[in-house]
Amino acid sequence: MSNPTDSMSSVRPDLIEKVTGRAEYITDLVVPGMLHGFVVRSPVVHARIVSIDTTAARLIEGVVDVLVGADVASFGRWGVVLKDRPIIAIDRVRYVGEPVAVVIAETVEIAENAAELVDVEYEELPRATTIREALADGAPLIHERHENLEDFYFKGGARPTQNSNVFHTYRSSVGDVDAAEAIAAHVHEDSFTFPAISHFAMEPHTVIADFQGDALTIWAGAQTPTAVQKVLSRLFGLQLAKIRVVVPFVGGGFGGKASVKIEPLVAAASWKVRRPVRVAQSISDSMLTCRRLGAEITIRTAVDAKGRILAKTAKLLLDGGAYSDTGSAVATKSANRIMGPYVMPNLRLEASAVYTNTVPGAAFRSIGGPQAVWAKESHMDNVAAAIGMDPVEFRLINMAGRGERTRPDLRPLDMDMSELVGRVTQSPVFETQGSNRRARGLAVAATDPANTPIANAIVRLKIDGSVSVSVSSIEVGQGAHATMARVAAQTLQQRFSAVTTLRTDTDIAPYDWGTGASRSTVVVGLSVESAALDAADQIFDMVADVWELPKDSLTLVEGGVSTGSEVLTFHQIFHRALGVDSGEVVGRGGITPRSKKGALAESPLFWETSAGLAEIVVDEDTGQIHVPRYASAADVGRVINRVAAEGQDEGAAAMGFGHALFEELEFDDGQPVNATPIDYTIPRITDVPPVFDTILVENGDGPGPGGAKGMGEGAILPVAPAIANALFSTYGIRITDLPMTPEKVWRALQKRK
Amino acid sequence: MTHMLPISFSLNGQTVSMEVAAHTLLIDLVRGRLGLKGTKRSCDMEVCGACTMLLDGDPISSCTTLAVDVDQREVTTIEGVTPPDGLSRVQKAFVLHGGLQCGFCTPGFIMAVTALLKANPHPTDDEIRHYLHGNLCRCTGYVKIFEAVKSLAIEHVSEDAA
Ligand code: FES
Ligand code: FES
Repeated sequence: MSNPTDSMSSVRPDLIEKVTGRAEYITDLVVPGMLHGFVVRSPVVHARIVSIDTTAARLIEGVVDVLVGADVASFGRWGVVLKDRPIIAIDRVRYVGEPVAVVIAETVEIAENAAELVDVEYEELPRATTIREALADGAPLIHERHENLEDFYFKGGARPTQNSNVFHTYRSSVGDVDAAEAIAAHVHEDSFTFPAISHFAMEPHTVIADFQGDALTIWAGAQTPTAVQKVLSRLFGLQLAKIRVVVPFVGGGFGGKASVKIEPLVAAASWKVRRPVRVAQSISDSMLTCRRLGAEITIRTAVDAKGRILAKTAKLLLDGGAYSDTGSAVATKSANRIMGPYVMPNLRLEASAVYTNTVPGAAFRSIGGPQAVWAKESHMDNVAAAIGMDPVEFRLINMAGRGERTRPDLRPLDMDMSELVGRVTQSPVFETQGSNRRARGLAVAATDPANTPIANAIVRLKIDGSVSVSVSSIEVGQGAHATMARVAAQTLQQRFSAVTTLRTDTDIAPYDWGTGASRSTVVVGLSVESAALDAADQIFDMVADVWELPKDSLTLVEGGVSTGSEVLTFHQIFHRALGVDSGEVVGRGGITPRSKKGALAESPLFWETSAGLAEIVVDEDTGQIHVPRYASAADVGRVINRVAAEGQDEGAAAMGFGHALFEELEFDDGQPVNATPIDYTIPRITDVPPVFDTILVENGDGPGPGGAKGMGEGAILPVAPAIANALFSTYGIRITDLPMTPEKVWRALQKRK
Repeated sequence: MTHMLPISFSLNGQTVSMEVAAHTLLIDLVRGRLGLKGTKRSCDMEVCGACTMLLDGDPISSCTTLAVDVDQREVTTIEGVTPPDGLSRVQKAFVLHGGLQCGFCTPGFIMAVTALLKANPHPTDDEIRHYLHGNLCRCTGYVKIFEAVKSLAIEHVSEDAA
């Protein structure tokens, strides 16, 4: 609950542009001479393409060309971890929705109409549409062999199992689980499932590509422009410097626009016609482009007579869909994220990502986190019940303290988890009238963001005191551009309104890994800070030189430099030092794992932690769950912009309500059942709890500017298990498969009676 | 041959007279030929409210409204509620309360809230939620959108300031 203290002069400039409709998104851009592409998609689950006849489509007036697999077969496949993906289906389709042709025409309307005339003949192949089917003996192989791209995007690549549908397995083991279980007072095991979920960014994927000779320009709502650049460079044999990726305002990403999505497809269309081509997908198309990985999870905990955890075992199977994308990283993270903030002397984790004949899986807000935390935190309450202990008490006695490691290879916890639990349980929202203390459920999460500490920034301080910041972070609504401007303004002691963050453009912005995993504030923020310090240093050098003053006597003030006895304006400094009345200093800053004496090298850079406490009411006649009150707490180190930070957490929690109560991208034997915005529902304003408390814990102990930690992903995690735990403690039913639809709840209530 | 029909309507207070194909959608006409791109297209199926415009003051989904159906009527878009300099009170409230993140749903929300407050300057909490039920936002979780609208609902303003 916020009280806006920001006055209009310090608000995020992007908000003003957006609220007036002036902000430009990719769909608002027009490139002169641009044609329009419409994608023909596979209606079949798994099939050999016998033939594609585009003759009739080409005869339509206004159709320029049709791109099919045969055109680009020689370019080979691409990927970001495994090289498993053709630019467009060549001889085979692996899921319903896979692109098989792109009709390129003068208008979208013509392209769409002509697309109906593209005649594709398929010969169906045996399919594997679920994890179980894909792992069965004799399951059809969705990819005949696995080609690992070592060190392409994520370090380490994937560990596929040849001659199987398993494209990655991650294992981690500490101590001796078997021995610990043998002496345990109790061993408790549970199984859970988690469905595929659609990102449902309000702005669907849209890309404009313009191939000109050996140069390629891409306009896209891409979260990781440098990954797009790299994939396109390899695919089309172009130098990185010849590929320009421009990212205007992005209408929501949540991971669904991370790594690389339809950019190669649209680039190929432009390559074919040698003109700019735009493909603007519909929401339904985007639901067939990527989705969160579904999961089947078995988790087992051994405790001693006092309720202390002796050992934990988890096996996670993730449904990666037809192409791997970053599914291997999702699997690895799901294993790390199922540990939670607990002390577990013995540990055995295994996570595998499996191909199925469904929409490709992809990164999605807190990769692998919601799947893992759903299982782990529901399980914690089951274990507590089995040993007759209060679930909050059970958590508290097993929680790792600040500075304690949950696993030897991970950075020690950098915060007090019990503080978060205390903050949600004492939230004033539960003091309000009608609150029922018995109908509450708690869940906590501690996740390790994959925030690669590699970023660069350029900060230019101009003679008039204005400043421009150039970074590859994109503005996807999180306020990254304003945060970068604030960091530069604070470091240079200039007004916020004097600083402009430039639109993301790889021709201008220096290299960065990408926007995601809650990393921008910390990693990119630190590089902006160091670039600003570099710019300041250059100014100080000029002053020290010309005025013959010791550098350490100089400080920055608004509009210039203070020498202690007087203020020199930037203009005076440039004038005297350079003999000109124009110019700028260009500050460069970079962060690498070796920065800050290696303090950033250990993983994770910081822990992203959250706690959620839900109070529920169930309509026992319908099974409908209502959540009248919810408190969410996150440790953020330091808040740079309170309204934006709270908004990130509220947005994440609301997404969590969708995950918990109704969101599921359904497949029936591989056929998508509800992949349209009519059939698939995301939370509406009436679906979020009317009484909602957002608590941000600030101890200034993060590695980012001012002690900030990254945030924006944690709050999604506790929601589903907190609600499930409330359902368990209050109504005595345990739902193990998300979402907790009225039907499932009603059936469980009937069974209990 | 596409059948063209003459229409004449008021767009943000200016009269527009032109010929349009019978099947042209209002959103395409406004974003395309008329070049006003503030209105956003998302679901394209009348379920998300991103494309909301006002027709004679009432919110409509421009993605499913035929251009010919606005003949002789008044259409208002986000451009039409934005003062020449500065922000409307609804826009200002969204900015100050952080009722937006990526901003893709925002023009639609601004239009809906503008219509709500015109019809009902002091809506109750339930009325606010009910009225905005048709506007989807994937980013904010609605908490700050609600707070923004609530701040306006409890504000006492003279009639003409609205
Ligand atoms: S785009 Fe018109 S209602 Fe969604
Ligand atoms: S602000 Fe992104 S959808 Fe509402």
